[in-house]
Amino acid sequence: MDMHFDQHISRQFNEDLESLKTEMLEMGGLVTSQVADAVEALANADSEQAEKVLRIEEEIDKREMAIDEHATLIIAKRQPAASDLRMVMSVIRIARDLERVGDEASKVAKMAIALTDEGTAPRGYTEIRHIANAVRKMLNDALDAYTRFDVQAAMRTLAEDEQVDMDYRSAVREMVTYMMEDPRSISRVINVLWTLRALERIGDHAKNICEQVVYLVEGADIRHGHESNLKNT
Amino acid sequence: MSDLTQAQVRERIARRLASRHRKEKLFRGLGIASIAFGVMAVLLLFSDIISKGSGAFVQTDVQLQVTYDPALLGIDEVNAETLIWANFTAVIREALRARFPEVSGRSEKRELYSLVSSGAPFTLRERLQANPQLLGKTEKVWFAADDDVDTFVKSLDDSAEGFRGRTSEQMAAWVQSLRASGELKKRFNTTFFTNGDSREPEQAGIRAALVGSLLTLMVTLALSFPIGVAAAIYLEEYAPKNRWTDLIEVNINNLAAVPSIVFGLLGLAIFINFFELPRSAPLVGGLVLTLMTLPTIIISSRAALKSVPPSIREAAMGMGASRMQVVLHHVLPLAMPGMLTGAIIGMAQALGETAPLLMIGMVAFIVDVPSGITDPATVLPVQIFLWADSPERAFVERTSAAIMVLLSFLIVMNTSAVLLRKKLERRW
Amino acid sequence: MNTMTLDAPGYSEPASPQTLEKETVDTRTKVRETVGTPFCDNAKLKMRNVNVFYNETQAIHNVSLDIGRNEVVAMIGPSGCGKSTFLRCLNRMNDTIEGCRVEGDLTLDDEPIYGPKVDVVPLRARVGMVFQKPNPFPKTIYENVAYGPKIHGIGSRRAELDEIVENSLRRAGLWNEVKDRLDKPGTGLSGGQQQRLCIARAIAVSPEVILMDEPCSALDPIATARIEELIDELRKNYTIAIVTHSMQQAARVSQRTAYFHLGHLVEVNDTETVFTNPEHELTEAYITGRFG
Repeated sequence: MDMHFDQHISRQFNEDLESLKTEMLEMGGLVTSQVADAVEALANADSEQAEKVLRIEEEIDKREMAIDEHATLIIAKRQPAASDLRMVMSVIRIARDLERVGDEASKVAKMAIALTDEGTAPRGYTEIRHIANAVRKMLNDALDAYTRFDVQAAMRTLAEDEQVDMDYRSAVREMVTYMMEDPRSISRVINVLWTLRALERIGDHAKNICEQVVYLVEGADIRHGHESNLKNT
Repeated sequence: MSDLTQAQVRERIARRLASRHRKEKLFRGLGIASIAFGVMAVLLLFSDIISKGSGAFVQTDVQLQVTYDPALLGIDEVNAETLIWANFTAVIREALRARFPEVSGRSEKRELYSLVSSGAPFTLRERLQANPQLLGKTEKVWFAADDDVDTFVKSLDDSAEGFRGRTSEQMAAWVQSLRASGELKKRFNTTFFTNGDSREPEQAGIRAALVGSLLTLMVTLALSFPIGVAAAIYLEEYAPKNRWTDLIEVNINNLAAVPSIVFGLLGLAIFINFFELPRSAPLVGGLVLTLMTLPTIIISSRAALKSVPPSIREAAMGMGASRMQVVLHHVLPLAMPGMLTGAIIGMAQALGETAPLLMIGMVAFIVDVPSGITDPATVLPVQIFLWADSPERAFVERTSAAIMVLLSFLIVMNTSAVLLRKKLERRW
Repeated sequence: MNTMTLDAPGYSEPASPQTLEKETVDTRTKVRETVGTPFCDNAKLKMRNVNVFYNETQAIHNVSLDIGRNEVVAMIGPSGCGKSTFLRCLNRMNDTIEGCRVEGDLTLDDEPIYGPKVDVVPLRARVGMVFQKPNPFPKTIYENVAYGPKIHGIGSRRAELDEIVENSLRRAGLWNEVKDRLDKPGTGLSGGQQQRLCIARAIAVSPEVILMDEPCSALDPIATARIEELIDELRKNYTIAIVTHSMQQAARVSQRTAYFHLGHLVEVNDTETVFTNPEHELTEAYITGRFG
């Protein structure tokens, strides 16, 4: 089904929905770059860049609140139905996911600061870089799928989360061996674990965004393993 | 679309404003002028009729000292038979001669006798019939004056000379003498309302015509209202809208515009020549007027039915009311005020109608008050027509007086139509 | 997007990119069959292949729909889509319209609604109707409610009638407001009260189905809320079909919603489905306020 949000009889409604979507995608862009910055700060042991990530966090929180408010206004004024309603609902949910992604990025940034302070060789960074690349791609793809209302792309991205989870589990196992090999590295490796955990969570949020794409386009709620709700694709 | 600034637009509007106001005033002025013209015409008509007709409500009486002399009367006792034969004329003539003893010669005497109405003997007979003991006695009795005398006396109020017309100088002298001695008086003319038509203006009244009109209208109303309402209900509520009903509608509208004399000819051909109903009868008059008023009543009833909101019909129908129940319970009560108004206006039209009644013989000279719808009768407008045709000057004022009576009936009917509508009308 | 696609079907002009686009739109959205769930197991009213004509013009095209027992079915659609016409077929109110012809099988409890042997008077007693404009009779409140029972000979004694009037007014939620002025004209009530009086009048003859033709379009939001509350209450005892222009109202009061478009029944579905994820594009376009 084609999605058109620019064909309402009310031009104002068109504009409201359009700007809501734009706001959300802008927030998405901000969050994506925040994730990239955090991972980079970690890789380059750049505490300054990490500080910048923490500052952007505030901006992201503000954006989420603005989106919530605008969505509430649209519901109050227009009583959206069907695809419009799903659009507004998905934007609200995605904004919340994005805000959480932002939180996770902040955690990564904090780890970057902590790991920089310790100043030792970055063990486990390969895994972090690997998973970080995977979840950043997922986040990008999810937002891209949303922009294009592309259910297929969303489903593909959604499937990638499993790989991320597997990578995460193997990375955890590897970290556990590090800790067993060298008990002195425990505190540092725990920080790396936290970072991995945060990145894995970002992957989950990207998955949630993909689910919202499916909800928006197909009207089927496939969250929490209810893929069967999606009948005809 | 050229781009005008708001200031330019305002400026243009302001420029045209004065001429717009002027036109507005002119438009309103035209309306007021039309109304004024109408009011003037009505006032003129009314003042003319009232000034001419008011005299008819007053009648001059002459007082004479009469002696019920059995010898002159030619009877010796009072009973039903002798009253018919008694020569009251002789008694009155004797009384006149006694009042004016100087009169001599045949022609002069004849002139003297015409001082009082030719109906005077009937006045005397009625008195004697009521009081048989008066036989042989003498009393003063007021007699209606002859119409020429009446006209002359009334004209004396306006000028000392008065309008003599057919009244001779000698007669004028007698009148002046009677007037000086108080043997002339004016009274309210009850005769005008209690008598039928007569050749003598002073004995002519409108009672017969009024009763005739009433009977005719009763027949008309009794026939045209139910028929008209039934026809309107059928056409409006039941009839399918097709060519036939269109044709019927066109014909009904046509009939409303047909000259009334045509209905008279129709009535003559059908009711009198074919069905052999009595001539000059209110029955036939009513039938003819029914034909004439039916279109009016049907059209106004249909309009009244149309004005009943369809939502009421739907509501009743939705409750499972049958068509007849819808009409009888809901539509008819709401349409009734409009229908009654139409009926009253139709009746007013019928009341003023003359031409068709001439055709069916209601123009006959009818003296007796009709007692039923098959008795010969005449109606008010025809009576007016007849009097307007009469040469006697006294009939002029009677004509106008009859018009006044007719007009007041019309005003009462039309006012009641308006009031009825105001009172019963329901706003939706 | 300023190419209006609202032109009449007969509209034609030399092929240009615009008209081409329009044609593709038309074929894509052409209505062939009703989507969704037009039928139900426990049907009170069954309509199959209903076609309605006004003289030569076809107003309803091959509509099939069930209305279940104790169910509220809302009919929505743009003006002139035939939803009112369809509603009026159900108690044969269209009979009075000149040139109106109804084809197809319509049954109430499997008894035919149309047919030479069917008497409309008892049919309309079973299938009551409430109209767009509150239309109480210009009579007293009591007479308004008692009218139906009287003409059908239901309440013969005064006491019986009194009881019917009171019960009907109570069910319509109007009793407490009018019990002291039953002898006052029904037209003196407020718009919302008048509409509830009309509902009381309709239920006084104990119908099985109540048809409502935009019952709230002349009412303010408070009165509308009362009527909607009443509809929900009435659902326990009656089967209700309601035509409405207010999509929110349809969403609030009905269990199933039917979307009509140019005389076609485009979609029938559970109300929640229709308002969150309609199957047909036309339904979607209509309920979200998009260009036809």
